[in-house]
Amino acid sequence: MMQGLLTAIRAEIYVFTRSRSIQLLCVIPALVAAVQLLLVKSLAASNDARAALMGTETADGGGGFGGGGFGNVEGADAWGALVDALGTGMTLISLILVAYSAWSFASDRDQGVLRHLLIRRVSRPALVLSKLIQAHLLALVSIVLMLLVTFGSAALLWDFGPVIEDGYELIGTADIHAELSLGLSLALIPLPAAIALGVLVSVLSNSTTQALSLALGLTLGLDLFKSVLGGAADYLYASYLVSLLDESYLDDVARLVRGYSDVMIDPAVLQLNQWVPWPQMVLFIILALALVRRKKL
Amino acid sequence: MTEAVLHIKDLIKRYGDVEVLHHLNLEVTRGAIHGLVGLNGSGKTTTMECVLGMQGFDSGEVKVLGRHPRDLWQGAGDVVGIFDTPGLHPGLTVRQCLEHAQLLCGKPAHKPAELEALLGITKYSHYKIRQLSLGNRRRASIAHALIGQPAFVVLDEPFNGLDAGGVDDVLALIQRLNRQEGTSFLLSSHQLAYLESICTHLSILHQGKIALSASTDELIRPSESRLKLVCDQAVAARELLKQTLGVINIEKEGSALMLTLDGIGPGDVNRKLVMSGVTVSELQPEKRDLSALFQKIVSQGVA
Repeated sequence: MMQGLLTAIRAEIYVFTRSRSIQLLCVIPALVAAVQLLLVKSLAASNDARAALMGTETADGGGGFGGGGFGNVEGADAWGALVDALGTGMTLISLILVAYSAWSFASDRDQGVLRHLLIRRVSRPALVLSKLIQAHLLALVSIVLMLLVTFGSAALLWDFGPVIEDGYELIGTADIHAELSLGLSLALIPLPAAIALGVLVSVLSNSTTQALSLALGLTLGLDLFKSVLGGAADYLYASYLVSLLDESYLDDVARLVRGYSDVMIDPAVLQLNQWVPWPQMVLFIILALALVRRKKL
Repeated sequence: MTEAVLHIKDLIKRYGDVEVLHHLNLEVTRGAIHGLVGLNGSGKTTTMECVLGMQGFDSGEVKVLGRHPRDLWQGAGDVVGIFDTPGLHPGLTVRQCLEHAQLLCGKPAHKPAELEALLGITKYSHYKIRQLSLGNRRRASIAHALIGQPAFVVLDEPFNGLDAGGVDDVLALIQRLNRQEGTSFLLSSHQLAYLESICTHLSILHQGKIALSASTDELIRPSESRLKLVCDQAVAARELLKQTLGVINIEKEGSALMLTLDGIGPGDVNRKLVMSGVTVSELQPEKRDLSALFQKIVSQGVA
């Protein structure tokens, strides 16, 4: 079993490192986040230029798209734009990972690729585990790339410092770093569960199209309806995923760095964010491993 | 006793309420090239998928090189399958696919370049699979399967999409591997003529059952009891043979007479005719027509 799993992982990595489509998927979130930062900076620069011509102060502090909320808060725009770009990158990464994990197994099955692995050296459970590992590899590469590009681009475009209002430091750089790290860490925790759901759907489905639509439909559906679930949503991994209707802590961090003082994380929710996704991930994996044993491949 | 690489006993497979394989029995001996012939929907692909562990079965026993199909992966490439869809990553090149196959084999016996040359796809080595024609994809798929040194190869419709040259290449390759490396094969195809030319054994699958299974020699060996006679005096010969003990039936087929014998041979018939002054220009055992036999079985459902 272990030998088969290692063989499957080697085979997956071989494809991973040679497939242009997969490489593109790794790069897209980083590119979009960088483009967002550039747009924000361009809008801010154009607002500043217009204000200088009109002889007035900029109304929104030059924030524009994703910009700050207070005109006289120094440093808020840079941090705000950075956290927004990270949020966009993480949203894209979570959607891409769900779609990719749903696509990978189903597509290989439709194309008959799984059969070669299955007959030769790889057991059915090892096939599923290798797909999970490959999706995590994709997650790792795209997250690292997105963080590098986003932080790098932001550092080129802005000077970062404490957030100051009327000479009073609202939040220091060290505190921002700590909150940003916490926001990002909490945003990463539900990703394995999202990947496991994608693989489960992939194993369950009868075609690639079905797998993709079901996995994305479920993820977007949970995103849409989590607000109507009330307290029950706290026990759902999707509530902590950075998403289109973001309720993750990273969204709170975006407000915090803009000088909002009403942002605080409930310790109970923090605990739930840290622990809720894991049992759900394990459940999805166990279901996928059980189902793949009986599935026609 | 000859060792079996594939042993199927009383295999039953149902899709919902429909039983598609009914107590199917089949044995492929080591070193054989065994052809599986059948109409569309007769259960060929289902049988192969059950053999290779792609899907489960409801009851019966299947052993491939002594293993249950779901444990084939433990053989590390002893058994390989080539399916009607090529089963290769469309985004990889031919060479990359073969390197990928090397990763899956414990001990790759062939080099990618060697197999590319053997299958005539060297010039497509750096083409992506999605850029190839169906025939070349099939060639690449066969190369992918043969990169190790499998003891048993299962091929589902291997000639689909291949041009005449491609078919010849594949037939020659199968024969070469069978003779030089002792590889056993199970091939399914509608192309009876190809199977007849290469298979050592043939099985006819009809309505989920093996209707007939025998060595190809046995199936196409000329019959000693059916003779084709061409002579100068057909009417006189017919009258003469009607009164001959051992000639149990005479039918006219064009200018020839088809004789059915029992207890006498062609030499007896020839002697009798010559001694009666009939000039015999042709007297030969009737060659069995596999296609006719297949048609008979599928139309009547009997062996």
